[in-house]
Amino acid sequence: MMATTQSISKREEKITALIMILPATLLLGVFVMLPLGMAVYRSFFDYRAGGESLYVGFDNFRKILKNTIFFDSIANVIKMTAIIATAQIVLSFLFANALVRIRGRKAVIARMLIYLPYLISGIVVSVIFTLMTRYNGGIINAFLIQLNIEPIAFNNDTFWSPISIIIPTLWIGFGYFTLIMYSGLINIPREYFEAAEVDGAGFLRKTLSITIPHMKNYFILLVVTLVVVNLQMFEIPMIMTNGQPAGQTMTPVLYLIHSRANSNISDSEITAAALLIMLVILLINSTIFYLFRTRKKDEWEH
Amino acid sequence: MKKKIRQQTLNVVVIAIVLLIFLPIFLMLPSMFKDRYEIFSYPWRFLPIHWHIDNFRRIAFLQYTSIGINFFRSLAVTSLVAAIALVLGLAVNMTAAFAFARLEFPGKRILWALIISTMFIPAITIWFTSVRVATLLGLLDTMAVLIIPGLAAAYNIFFFRQFYLGFPRELDEAARIDGARTFQIFTTIYIPMSKTPMVIIGAMIFMGYYNSYLWPILVISHQRQDLYQMMYVIRSLFGHAPTIGYGAVLAATFISLIPPMIVFTIVQRYIREGIALSGLK
Repeated sequence: MMATTQSISKREEKITALIMILPATLLLGVFVMLPLGMAVYRSFFDYRAGGESLYVGFDNFRKILKNTIFFDSIANVIKMTAIIATAQIVLSFLFANALVRIRGRKAVIARMLIYLPYLISGIVVSVIFTLMTRYNGGIINAFLIQLNIEPIAFNNDTFWSPISIIIPTLWIGFGYFTLIMYSGLINIPREYFEAAEVDGAGFLRKTLSITIPHMKNYFILLVVTLVVVNLQMFEIPMIMTNGQPAGQTMTPVLYLIHSRANSNISDSEITAAALLIMLVILLINSTIFYLFRTRKKDEWEH
Repeated sequence: MKKKIRQQTLNVVVIAIVLLIFLPIFLMLPSMFKDRYEIFSYPWRFLPIHWHIDNFRRIAFLQYTSIGINFFRSLAVTSLVAAIALVLGLAVNMTAAFAFARLEFPGKRILWALIISTMFIPAITIWFTSVRVATLLGLLDTMAVLIIPGLAAAYNIFFFRQFYLGFPRELDEAARIDGARTFQIFTTIYIPMSKTPMVIIGAMIFMGYYNSYLWPILVISHQRQDLYQMMYVIRSLFGHAPTIGYGAVLAATFISLIPPMIVFTIVQRYIREGIALSGLK
């Protein structure tokens, strides 16, 4: 009797489990795995000739790699991502350190408010920042004129265009990243800091030898997130600069969206390019993980 | 004494930085009442000389102009899409997370590996072929195509699974002895205890849908203007700014921030706990 009840409940569990995972599995299969498979397949064919498909091997990849606009856009976005990731990590880490040191209501309110920009879309943020950075009549230039400084074409200038993309990007994520850093900071046992303070360690000393080693996993997670998100950026550049000047703020995703709309390169090449972007992201992230691993090994050896 | 000064400086710095974050929005807010000439006039003024309420009327009646966008309908439809996605998204991801955290079934490990691997596929890589899939399924130009493809998200499943793995198993066993079926254990024990992650992930799902720009324009054509999503509308209005005036565009932009503000007031109590959960395990 007991055995049958148990086997019935085991069967019931198995059936329930399969029903419960079905929707998510089906959706990921149809809308992630299948499109990925199709992308890989299609990148080896040429569909241009009136409905017929022709196997072309790596031709699409070769063509897209010779495409200087695409190639430059990858270089642009890597540069901007490097700056954004570094700045975001440093700024949010410092601000989180300030936040843990204040108490009371203002601390609670500060922690709450800084989350807000994270909910706003890149498009909305860019509209607001574009109006502020406008050459004619933007508030920043109005201020510069007041100070007798020449107005700057923030959205169409070799030096300032990348910055006018980087600032709104940092603005959106700053509070969110600070809160993650904050939750990492409060998890470090206080005794470590107290012991260090007895030894007369200052902020820098404590940060280098206690905080950073303890928060290594946070840093890696945040860097990887920043890399994945920012290598695919397109909304802010689309509104702020639209790739100007002379393609210097063109990003790969923005270029592919433009290309698809104007059909100036074939769909197969776009697909190949999209796969290359995935490879670049995977490559950079594996490098980050790899660097972290070797460090850990070093620690063991010493 | 020295310590007290340092503490005070720190307080001032934190408050200053929080104010600095809100400075762009604060400075631009009154500009939505400025007319097309005043908004870029020099010298720059914080408050408009003439409060130009007409910007809002213009936004409300865009559908009768050559731009042909119904802003407030779009605001409602986008919020509706995001709200439906929020409910369905939580359902899809939480059920899967529960099964992976607590139940035994054949193929569990392989399926889990496959689900996690989808986290590493960037959206750009599958966007265009997903449109093809949606076309083959006959979903183009429907509300369903805005909602369904993004519902299952490996990160959300992962997040809930981690959360459920931390629950004491004794609760399940006690319920089983009382004769509860597997699904009842999920609905009566796991769902009520998931409030914080539900609020945080729910907010992220809602905002992800509300803020999405590219997918809607890939799958909704001009045949279905009634399904136009907010971010596309904002971008179009921005493109039409020379005609309708930047003040009106700014008015639309700020009105589009109302749903995020509502989300924010709901989640603000859960932010700290939620972030601590999403931090490292």
